[in-house]
Amino acid sequence: MEQLQLQFPSSDFSLLALILLLPLVGAFVNGVFGKRLGNQGVRAMALTAVGGSFLLCLVAFAMLVAAPHGHGHTATRFTWNAWRWFTIDGGTSAVPLDVAFSIDPLSGVMMLVVTGIGFLIHLYSTAYMKADPGYYRFFAYLNLFIFSMLVLVLGDNLAVLFVGWEGVGLCSYLLIGFWFNDEKKSSAGKKAFIANRIGDFGLLVAMAMLVYYAGTLRFSTLEESHASLGQMRQLWPIAGLELPSWLIPTEPIRASVPTLVALALFVGCIGKSAQLPLYVWLPDAMAGPTPVSALIHAATMVTAGIYLVARTSFIFVQSPFAMAVVAGIGALTAVFAATIAFAQTDLKKVLAYSTISQLGYMFIGVGSGAFAAGFFHVLTHAFFKGCLFLCAGSVIHAMHHVIHDEEQSQDMRKMGGLRKHMPITHATFLISCLAIAGCPMTSGFFSKDEVLFKAFSSQIITAQKGLWVAPAWYGQAIYALGVIGAVCTAFYMFRAYFLTFWGEFRGWTIVKQAKKAHGHHAHDAHHEGEPLRGQAPHESPWQMTLPLAVLAVFALFGGLVYAEPLHLTALERFWHPVFATASTHVVERAGAHGMMLPLLFVGAAIFAVGTGAAYVVYVVKNGQPAAAFVSAMPGLHRIVRDKWRIDELYQATILGFFDALGETAVAMDKWLIDGVIARATAGIVQVFGAILRLLQTGRVQVYAASMVLGTAGIAWFALAPHATAELDSSKLRSNGELIFTAAPGHGYAYRWAEGDAAMPSEFGSKAVFTTQVDRCATKTVRLEVKNVFGSTTETKFTPCREMGNNCCARIAPSPQASTTQPVKVAPVEGSR
Amino acid sequence: MKPLPSMASYVPVMLLFILAALVAGGMFTATTYLGPKNPNPTKEYPFECGHLGEGSGDVRPSVKFYMTALLFVVFDIEAVMIYPWAVEFRSLGWSGFATMGSFILVVFVLLAYVWKKGALEWEK
Amino acid sequence: MKDALLALAPILVVAFGGLGLMMTEAFGTRKKGGPASDLALGSFIVFMAGAVVSASLWAAGPEQLPGASSTAPWLIVDRFTLFFDTVLCLGAGLSALMAGGYLPEHRLDRGEFFPLLVFSTVGAMILAASGDLLSLFIGLETMSIGVYAMVGFRRGSLRSTEAAVKYFLLGSFAAALLLYGGALIYGITGKTDFASIGAAIKNGLGGRQADFGMLLVAMVLVLAGLAFKVSSVPFHMWTPDAYEGAPTPATSYMAVAVKSAAFAMMLRVLLGVFGDSASMSWGTGWPPVLAALALLTMTVSNLIAGRQESVKRMLAYSSIAHAGYVLVGVVAVIKPGSDAQASVLFYLLSYTVSTAGAFAALILCGSRGREAVSFEDLAGLGKRHPVAAFALSFFLLSLAGMPPTAGFFGKFYIARAGIGAGLNVLTVLLLLNSVIAAYYYLRVMVFMYMREPAPGAPSAIPMRSGYVTAAIVLSAVLVVLLGVWPSTSLKVAIDSALTFR
Repeated sequence: MEQLQLQFPSSDFSLLALILLLPLVGAFVNGVFGKRLGNQGVRAMALTAVGGSFLLCLVAFAMLVAAPHGHGHTATRFTWNAWRWFTIDGGTSAVPLDVAFSIDPLSGVMMLVVTGIGFLIHLYSTAYMKADPGYYRFFAYLNLFIFSMLVLVLGDNLAVLFVGWEGVGLCSYLLIGFWFNDEKKSSAGKKAFIANRIGDFGLLVAMAMLVYYAGTLRFSTLEESHASLGQMRQLWPIAGLELPSWLIPTEPIRASVPTLVALALFVGCIGKSAQLPLYVWLPDAMAGPTPVSALIHAATMVTAGIYLVARTSFIFVQSPFAMAVVAGIGALTAVFAATIAFAQTDLKKVLAYSTISQLGYMFIGVGSGAFAAGFFHVLTHAFFKGCLFLCAGSVIHAMHHVIHDEEQSQDMRKMGGLRKHMPITHATFLISCLAIAGCPMTSGFFSKDEVLFKAFSSQIITAQKGLWVAPAWYGQAIYALGVIGAVCTAFYMFRAYFLTFWGEFRGWTIVKQAKKAHGHHAHDAHHEGEPLRGQAPHESPWQMTLPLAVLAVFALFGGLVYAEPLHLTALERFWHPVFATASTHVVERAGAHGMMLPLLFVGAAIFAVGTGAAYVVYVVKNGQPAAAFVSAMPGLHRIVRDKWRIDELYQATILGFFDALGETAVAMDKWLIDGVIARATAGIVQVFGAILRLLQTGRVQVYAASMVLGTAGIAWFALAPHATAELDSSKLRSNGELIFTAAPGHGYAYRWAEGDAAMPSEFGSKAVFTTQVDRCATKTVRLEVKNVFGSTTETKFTPCREMGNNCCARIAPSPQASTTQPVKVAPVEGSR
Repeated sequence: MKPLPSMASYVPVMLLFILAALVAGGMFTATTYLGPKNPNPTKEYPFECGHLGEGSGDVRPSVKFYMTALLFVVFDIEAVMIYPWAVEFRSLGWSGFATMGSFILVVFVLLAYVWKKGALEWEK
Repeated sequence: MKDALLALAPILVVAFGGLGLMMTEAFGTRKKGGPASDLALGSFIVFMAGAVVSASLWAAGPEQLPGASSTAPWLIVDRFTLFFDTVLCLGAGLSALMAGGYLPEHRLDRGEFFPLLVFSTVGAMILAASGDLLSLFIGLETMSIGVYAMVGFRRGSLRSTEAAVKYFLLGSFAAALLLYGGALIYGITGKTDFASIGAAIKNGLGGRQADFGMLLVAMVLVLAGLAFKVSSVPFHMWTPDAYEGAPTPATSYMAVAVKSAAFAMMLRVLLGVFGDSASMSWGTGWPPVLAALALLTMTVSNLIAGRQESVKRMLAYSSIAHAGYVLVGVVAVIKPGSDAQASVLFYLLSYTVSTAGAFAALILCGSRGREAVSFEDLAGLGKRHPVAAFALSFFLLSLAGMPPTAGFFGKFYIARAGIGAGLNVLTVLLLLNSVIAAYYYLRVMVFMYMREPAPGAPSAIPMRSGYVTAAIVLSAVLVVLLGVWPSTSLKVAIDSALTFR
């Protein structure tokens, strides 16, 4: 260990280079030479790359644990600075951006998850994708994904993180559309890409603001200087922007910098972690191969949003408003997605909505200030949801062997009774199901309980005056939503479990290519086709069951690293330095003390109620109540089954808007430019037109007309006088002096007047005008400009001198009444 | 900066243009209105040295015609460049000689190219 | 004299190289096949020699050659010129490589293309170096006439001929506007070189009020002429037709080299002639005009590009949109001491390699008889020709501004310059526009990777050519280099900026 520490000092921890390089090499070799290597070679390469990376991660992690703990609030951090990327100007100084990577307790754990679960899923995929012609391509993408995810996690600054962020998005996009011969799947890839682009925009804006206000993108430096961010900024009206008066509010709208940055960051998280309202891509992403769903869309990539919030926790906690938004969106998503999961019949779709819902819980955690708890849920979720997805894959694999229809083999209505045929899959699915439903003592119980307890008990405080603070009932409301969502979770997960594994196998009767059964109650009786008696579904090979078993063990016992009710808080202590800065802003709410035990019982009750209800409905009554419910309220069922029709809403509103915009532009081009303008300017271009028409070159006249029009437009601007002036208000505060400097123009002459006084009779060359403004008074200054052609124009400026308590709303040049129309000046004196 | 001559000095030139336009236009107009008109087919026929016209008047000249015209322009321009150089030959000295030499070389290369490409052959 | 020759070496190398190529083409004997492949290699070597000479002169510093000033103001050899010489040679060299594969494939194997390309580039280099209205016009016309001929190179194709005639007519129109503006300027100042004209304007034109009116008219005409050359909306309408009709290597050349030279001319004219405080005033001068043009250019072209069914036409509109982005950088030049000029230069460099690469990849997607032009032609290309599909995606991502490619930093520096000059609204609109643009770049990828060609539809068969592949590799390497080490090239661009005021 000492040898290692000598070899890799904490300031130049080049071991990270190896960790990053291995998957990249794997991706490169598999992508370029994969075809020649053959499946054996590809498999060996992919497994070696990720497995090797995982082993190195273990070494690095061991070193991190063994390293002497940083003193005070700073977490232990091993950094590797690859090279200086580029330098940008910040608000105050030049900001160097390095390609640098680092591990600290938070990224260390995440890196283990990425490579560890990544390795298991690689192993699983070697069997799952065996028959696929794109075998090598799949592993190249998968390795590339591991690399990108490591870049995201290990990035030492926001810019490197962003590179990884885009990289995982790209891999996700490629893998969703992996079977690209299918129109639906490729459009799913597109949807994911677009939703993520919206999120990325937020992240970019946040980065820009951080560069401007904080002058750095490094996490450690940001954390050290986080307090300096707490300024208020005017959002509207934008300084220097001339606006019509009705757009100017009496009070300028202000927000604190941390709020702005945190909200922009959170927009990125919403996109990547599939929260309301950008969640729509994740269910569609299930079109990709199932191992991809397990790795990317359950265990790692979608949790990048939570990672980002945890990483920048010191910014978020400075804004109670942003925290409330995070927790609120999380809670709403948790319940909303859970309701949709009720009516899904596709096993993977149920898991997808469940993932969205669980991501909501993680955001509840980090949004309530319980960063360790929220991130702990990331960890346990990676175990049990990864396991659930892999089980689903195993089931689908088995079903596909029986019925050879892609869509039908994911349909729970065709499954049933699989516990007899697939004992290992069944056992692991059950364990993970217990974990996600919150069965006491499983990992999911501890993490979900911790999140909900913290949501109930925590409060964000801030030293800064004038900031919005969440009311006391807010945490309780979040808690209540969380409880509702948890009951739903237990119910729909066990619904899926019972439908899949209990009862009789219903897959015999499926006619190949028989698409779309009608409605929920469509069972065997509905199909006229001859029942097919094929081979029975059988258990998957060891490459698939081994990862299941490993993950199930973790899903069962993984909670013990952070089980507050049992006073086991190893993980929290390990993470404590990372969230030390942030936790100073989090206090326990009054009256929440001692509530842990009662809430623990609530947690157990949630599990009992949800699971029991599912048992009664789907086993004891064999689905009768559900069917009765559907027939009682067909409308409600249909709308839930159609996912509340959110996709259709987006299609109609947002996409429709952009389509219309594009159509309009085309129509403008066709009708306005070609039609109207061409005719209107026919007179002007007739001379050219007569010559050009002889040349018979189609619509070149129109092109020329457009150019003439453009020239006329430039002339219209350049030949008219423009009365604008710059204001120098630097002395305004001290002695009320205000200096106007009129914009220079060729051959311009000026005259000035104050208030309603008459303009001087002569235009002069005086471009500078000085005036005095009294306190809290508004002054009117008029400028009239005459250009060389004798046209004149006049602008009125009404500056105001602000003293103390906002006696006037703003100080900016306001051309409240401006006559831009050039008017011939009368030779007689006096104002017009 | 020296003030430029005023536009007034161009007035006589403009008067000349106007006068020319008036005279030419006036003659055409006058013949149209004053002359007696007695059209018959023979009179309408194009007159060319006493012979009757043959074929359509709308003949498309061969593209080689333009090619030759273009080459003529090139050598014309060369001549335009060489004359002033010849006048100032002594004062320009060897550097002027080198400059003009390279210019003539370039034109020569172009001539060789054009020749080789067959642009000078009227019939192929 | 020696200094002057050395300073003009980039232009001379390319010009005499072009003469040599012409001679080789006319007098050389070939055993089989057309001349294109040999000439492509020859032209590429000539251009690379030009680029290397310019780059080494840049590195040595033109101030080491005091005698070089004897060619000023007709040809100014400074770092600005040398930077553009390198970029122009690079863009033209890439086009030459493309032509080496494209022309034989599409039965256009005639040698004239390469001298046209070389001499047009000489014109472009003169244009970038000119500090005088006369040499500017000579450079402009030398460049343009070659391009007109290249656009109409597919003589058998009606579309190509039509495109050439349209481009020629409108180009002459624009040149006439520019020339008229120049004539007015000469009329009121009695000078043709930019520095003296700028000084005369700054000194108030000797106090003759009436001349200011003429100056304003001249400015309008010059701005219109410049806007045509950079194909800014509403002077853009020839662009899609000309780009679509031209053989793809010529399209690439127009999109990169001609546009870069036009921007070099624009910077020289705006900063040299109209660099006084009144002309550069945000309230009254050319900056608001260019800002409006930039806004129109970006928005209109992006909206129309999204609706195109032809990839080549889409790339044409995309190149118009990029001109709009660059215009934002040009407007940002009004802030003294900023790196706005450098951002324009850097953008042109990154845009050159990305666009040339995209066109090269597009060439690779089609073959004899059927050029890949429509989106349908590209359907399923990810399977049929993974290399071409990947290359095209890569360059489109760079054009879309995806980090860490060259395109990202190009946009980034422009946006930074825009914010630095206080053009907040314009910069935000630029960013929004690049989001819209991502849509149509992405659409190509969707077709390549996620669509199957319609059954029975005649699909473009990808071609193979070492020349085109070489062009792709060269561009790709540069795109990656500029993306990973942007600071170095930005430093070069900063050092190349014109001094003014």
